[in-house]
Amino acid sequence: MTAFRAMIRWSLRHILGRKRLVGLGLFGLVPAVVMAVVGQTASDASLLKEFHAGPLLTVLFGVLPITTLVLGAAALGEERRDGTLSFLLLRPTSRTSIVGAKLASVWLGSFLIVGGSVGLAALVLGVRSGHWTPFGPVLLAMAISTLAYAAAALALGYLTGRAVLIGLAYLVILENGLALAIDGMATVSLMRIGLTAYWALLPDRTAAVAFSEINQLMASLAPGALGAAAKALVIAGLVVAGTAWLLRHRDVA
Amino acid sequence: MTESPALVEHPTVEARAVSKWFGQKVAVSDLSCSFGPGITGLLGPNGAGKTTLLRMLTGLLGPSDGEVRIMGKDPRRSPEVYRHLALVPEEDAVYGFQTAREFVAYSAVLAGTDPRSAEEAIATVRLEDSADRPISGYSKGMRQRAKVAAALVGRPDLLVLDEPLNGTDPVQRAHLIDTFRTLAREGHTVIVSSHVLAEVERMSGRVLAMVDGKLAAAGDIAAIRRAMSHIPYRVRIETDLPRRMAAALVEIDSVAGVELDGETLHAETTDLEGLGRSIAGVAARLDARVSRFEPEDESLESVFRYLVRRR
Repeated sequence: MTAFRAMIRWSLRHILGRKRLVGLGLFGLVPAVVMAVVGQTASDASLLKEFHAGPLLTVLFGVLPITTLVLGAAALGEERRDGTLSFLLLRPTSRTSIVGAKLASVWLGSFLIVGGSVGLAALVLGVRSGHWTPFGPVLLAMAISTLAYAAAALALGYLTGRAVLIGLAYLVILENGLALAIDGMATVSLMRIGLTAYWALLPDRTAAVAFSEINQLMASLAPGALGAAAKALVIAGLVVAGTAWLLRHRDVA
Repeated sequence: MTESPALVEHPTVEARAVSKWFGQKVAVSDLSCSFGPGITGLLGPNGAGKTTLLRMLTGLLGPSDGEVRIMGKDPRRSPEVYRHLALVPEEDAVYGFQTAREFVAYSAVLAGTDPRSAEEAIATVRLEDSADRPISGYSKGMRQRAKVAAALVGRPDLLVLDEPLNGTDPVQRAHLIDTFRTLAREGHTVIVSSHVLAEVERMSGRVLAMVDGKLAAAGDIAAIRRAMSHIPYRVRIETDLPRRMAAALVEIDSVAGVELDGETLHAETTDLEGLGRSIAGVAARLDARVSRFEPEDESLESVFRYLVRRR
């Protein structure tokens, strides 16, 4: 096993402790439960709209940011606080490789929960109404958004012990506040990176465009999967380079 | 030949006029020293700056001033030096969810060494029987041994150990000391920090003593011992006749002073063994019963402070 793969493996095991996995896993079930409950009363024709208004928004505003924040903050932040970061740094492994492995583990761990959450909700939608088209796009879109969020949370977790708190403040103030109120702010929204990808990948978008919740969230952002993926990759690249630089130059207490 | 006893002729690791401060607090001040093959003990009371110096030597901390070289290279700019270096930190830098076998094997993979060296390292610290249990259930001594095993994989040229014997029982301690001595005989550079003189004395001939971030003394252990021989020991004596015992003790030449604290006496002496021998006679003469006779300061902090004042 290479050092990079070993770091991903053990980092995943570290961030996905039993309590965390159970807590986030149960939280991740909420969108599917919402979809199942809505499915009992709504008509088949309106279920796609209900999927966007309920489970998808729950994932975008809840499961996605909270999962990535909790896991991302733990990846380097807990290693720094527990003193195990020196165990990694005193090896002939580049700092870039360490941060890259950490990001990969946060992304994989987060996507396991976020993808599972939204995938399960989309599965309920498909089984209940026969709308299978959102399944692939929503998974791909969440993979992209999870990468952007995971990168931001990883850096934040390394820089401060209050990463989750700061992340939640960002979620409330920017994602839920400024990005909705000021049109231009939507471009710096991490959550909307995935949303633009989803909107671009959804085959029956013409019918779905009428859904006011998504339109409102998108503001003036243009749908585009490649652009969204590029944005997430640039954020990930910047975080890896910047955090690796900090690991080289900052003291490890 | 080098002029200062703090420097060696063929150093593996060097600190050149290094200082480290954290805000207003100076942790290490203008310290120059070097380490070569064999064991060097880094001695000093808690808070002397030993850990800060070791973390600078390994590149975890950057010096505020001065420079550090490992095999001629700056560890903060050349991660390849970590192929030759391992640190056993003082704190519990282990993953509690891993077993010792997994922890040591992980260390071997990260070091780029043969995974079989993990088994060898586990056997070296005699942890085979517990190696498949999660580290979170280990005692302090077992955790120490797991950390030492993780450091030993690949037999690094430079082994830096920060208080490695903390929490170990006498048998484990003796075995670890033997292990370090074997490595030193094989030509590895071993740096061991401790606040217990007796531990360092068993491991090492060469000692650097630090106090308040400065180098207080350097050289062989006998020289350090000689430097300490003038310092009075403080002894606690508990007896049923403290006042009469105090009066008798001040008559003894080697007793520099006696203090009465309730039923307890505190005596200062430059000849601890002599006082130990005399006290039995004094007690017999006074018909007193001595229930306790023990040196008060085992951390040797006062000794180190004396060394600093002497500079």
